[in-house]
Amino acid sequence: MSNGKIVSIHSFRGGTGKSNTTANLAAQVALTGKRVGVVDTDIQSPGIHVLFGLDEDKMGKTMNDFLHGKATIKEIGFNIGENTGDEEGRAKLKGKNLWLFPSSIRGREISQILREGIDFNKLNEGLQSTISEFNLDYLFIDTHPGLNEETLLSIATSDILIIILRPDNQDLQGTSVTVDIARSLDVPNLFLLINKALPKYDFAKLREQVQTQFNAQVTGVLPLSFDMAENASKDLFSLRYPDHEWSKSLIGVVDFILAAK
Amino acid sequence: MPGVFDRLDKEIKVKQQQDGITALDLADLPPALRKIMRLMLRELQMSYPRLLEVMESVPETDRLTRDQLDSALLNLSQQFWLTHIGKGEKAIYKVNLRKKTGSTLAAGIWSSLNSRLKGKPK
Repeated sequence: MSNGKIVSIHSFRGGTGKSNTTANLAAQVALTGKRVGVVDTDIQSPGIHVLFGLDEDKMGKTMNDFLHGKATIKEIGFNIGENTGDEEGRAKLKGKNLWLFPSSIRGREISQILREGIDFNKLNEGLQSTISEFNLDYLFIDTHPGLNEETLLSIATSDILIIILRPDNQDLQGTSVTVDIARSLDVPNLFLLINKALPKYDFAKLREQVQTQFNAQVTGVLPLSFDMAENASKDLFSLRYPDHEWSKSLIGVVDFILAAK
Repeated sequence: MPGVFDRLDKEIKVKQQQDGITALDLADLPPALRKIMRLMLRELQMSYPRLLEVMESVPETDRLTRDQLDSALLNLSQQFWLTHIGKGEKAIYKVNLRKKTGSTLAAGIWSSLNSRLKGKPK
């Protein structure tokens, strides 16, 4: 088995900023010199490719092609370090070892998966092969919100699970379900990350409350930010604005990832 | 024309897909088996000697004896939660995950969606 670690990023509900956080965390880890992959397993509503500047025209083979036996994992990996584009944040990834394994954004291919289902043996083979074939130190998995079968599979094979939640009662209840499942699947490192916290909150107190409620490490509290909203997924925010409060809190999460056994 | 072997092989494959394990089934396994299954998912396949090696690393309270392990492997294989090539000490095991079934919505909705998407403005 390769020593690469699988980091699943999950949220029980949509709109928590999961893809944005995943892309920024993966990019920050790549900046430390690690070899990093990002897989979009949100096959029914993919989106993380946007943050890496990939559109339908640039997108080659996808996870959908792999699942249908039409492409190998080697053919799917899109080298971000060689295709950073002009955006100021992404440009910092030039020459870094970061690959994206996108899901298709073609309606026909999404509907095909929804219609035909997913061969999980093949999906798992794909996830493990990305690590071995690209010699990755970390593979980030951007999952679909909620608890569907592909999300459960990614949780079951993770070394690190980061559950993103907002300080909202619906999120808190949903997170408790995910935490229970992750514990019953023996995920070695279970982390929480609070996003979209109102700046008027006492972040230290919030962190402590959530940590106590779930008996799990809160790795950071990211503020609700208009600047982040204004970025509109055009660029990797934490690379473009490294001194912003949101970015500084996110960079703190990287330490937890790198330290996890 | 497909032969008897092809037909039987196809039937086994269909059965495997229908009867595979889900992540929630994994959560219900005893700790030692769950550890093995999780590791097998990561390594994609495991030889019998490797299984014994992993069992040695399980805390003593959860560890299975060799007979218990053999019986568990047989049981998991009979449920199609594991597949294996070879027998005994030379066997190589693989987890068999249950396929996610497709949508049960009327098939017509997808072709209708396809044609609408094809006509969408760029």
